[in-house]
Amino acid sequence: MAARAPLPQAAVVGVGTTRYGVLSDYDAYDLGQWALKNALDDAGLSPGDIDGLILSRVPDYQRFAELGRLDPHYTLTTPGHGRFAGICIQTAVAVLQAGLARTVAVVYGNNGRSAGDRYGGDTDSYGSGGAGMWFPYGMTSPGAFHALMFQRHQARYGTRVEQLAEIPMAFRYHASLNPAAVMREPFGLEQYLATRHICEPLRLLDYCLINDGGVALILTLAERAVDLPQPPVYIDAMAQRAQFTDSTFPPEDFWHGAMASAAQATFAQTDLRREDMDALMVYDNFSPTVLFSLEGFGYCQPGEGGAFIQGGRLRLDGDLPTNTSGGHLSESYMQGWALNVEAVRQIRGQCDQRQVPGAQHVHYMAAAPVITSLIYSGQRRTQ
Amino acid sequence: MTPYNKPLPQIDPRQARFWQGLRERQIWLPTCANCAKVRFVATRFCGHCWSDESHWQRVPGGATLQAYATFHKAYWAGFAADVPYRVIQVRLDAGVSLFSNLVGPWPPALAQGARLKPFFDDVTPEVTLLKFCVDEANP
Repeated sequence: MAARAPLPQAAVVGVGTTRYGVLSDYDAYDLGQWALKNALDDAGLSPGDIDGLILSRVPDYQRFAELGRLDPHYTLTTPGHGRFAGICIQTAVAVLQAGLARTVAVVYGNNGRSAGDRYGGDTDSYGSGGAGMWFPYGMTSPGAFHALMFQRHQARYGTRVEQLAEIPMAFRYHASLNPAAVMREPFGLEQYLATRHICEPLRLLDYCLINDGGVALILTLAERAVDLPQPPVYIDAMAQRAQFTDSTFPPEDFWHGAMASAAQATFAQTDLRREDMDALMVYDNFSPTVLFSLEGFGYCQPGEGGAFIQGGRLRLDGDLPTNTSGGHLSESYMQGWALNVEAVRQIRGQCDQRQVPGAQHVHYMAAAPVITSLIYSGQRRTQ
Repeated sequence: MTPYNKPLPQIDPRQARFWQGLRERQIWLPTCANCAKVRFVATRFCGHCWSDESHWQRVPGGATLQAYATFHKAYWAGFAADVPYRVIQVRLDAGVSLFSNLVGPWPPALAQGARLKPFFDDVTPEVTLLKFCVDEANP
């Protein structure tokens, strides 16, 4: 059998973000368009260049495209679940590789804070549609789901909240170096422990920050990317795994199995190894998710996350600078999207005070019932 | 007496036998006629073998504690007086998981794997909730 030609490589050529915070004059369409406008400027492209459009959380694709007079060759819309950041970017790569479009915009617009979106109580739809069944018992919210997971991690592995605290503390330190972050005041362990519980064992500082904002990325194939003004940031490897079975309840293995499988598939596509990563962007809806991810993706052993992250390992000057923007816990909950932009900006060297010197390889990972993994690289793969 | 003001289950006709069972102090679950796996909730097809034939079966109420979390925030006014309150994740011996509450004092050393038995809580004349208490006889 003849060897199959390798798939062409895709690259991010433009990124755009809005301000984050309370933006009550903007709806989700405005926020998406604002971000896309910034991404087009960044890429040196105009709206007419977009021939692929992938949306998340923007309610209606037709309305969005009409507002910007876009008539793409490929259109897709996805729900505003954080797991879709990685899914959409992976789909953009696949659309490019299939030749369905040459320039794909992936756009996220979130007006959840001004719209009063709530993640617990009567409007809670987290999980597989069955959330309402548990309201009579007072069970609600993704925060409680992760509190249950972390409680079990504590019981099984002896992980302590004093260890967990390093995650929000490290990310807040990074946010203090990021003018775009919503929460920038660093805090220490004593302050963390003095903060009120929302769903114990988790405290307020373990929860992401619901805000308004928009994020967009523009991708093309590598051949085209080199003609554009920004240094291309290549998608070096990517994988996705789902664990929907029994997903009404927290996964018994903290998603470790699905993450290990995604990690194996990711690293099988590249010569890069974990130790080549200059930074990590880890989906941090709640701080325990970062522990589960580091364990599942093999940066440490299952159960060892609590000890592994001590000593400043996740901080800018540590071995594994993680969520250098402040992430969802301190920059803003842009549901994975802004973490992907931060990966691109790190590799371009555009992160000023929070720059990881010489960053060339960044691993984005998200742990949820859909696991996504993407390695960004400043270097084009040799084939 | 103040009226019950916590959220009540929306009783889907497909789940009616389950709720009727709780009122009768019994746990009834849909069971696949082909592969005999029990499921919760009732669905058209068995998730294991995809057969669309099932019947209701009474199952034992023994369960194991899987995890717990303590709510300090009340998402409904009806829970405001209860905070902090605990939600437990349990696994019925019959093979399905549930979220619920533990009735009675919380034992100081209650741990994962603790044995629980059902407590049928008649919260209104129409609705009985499936809660649990520590099974002292089978710790």
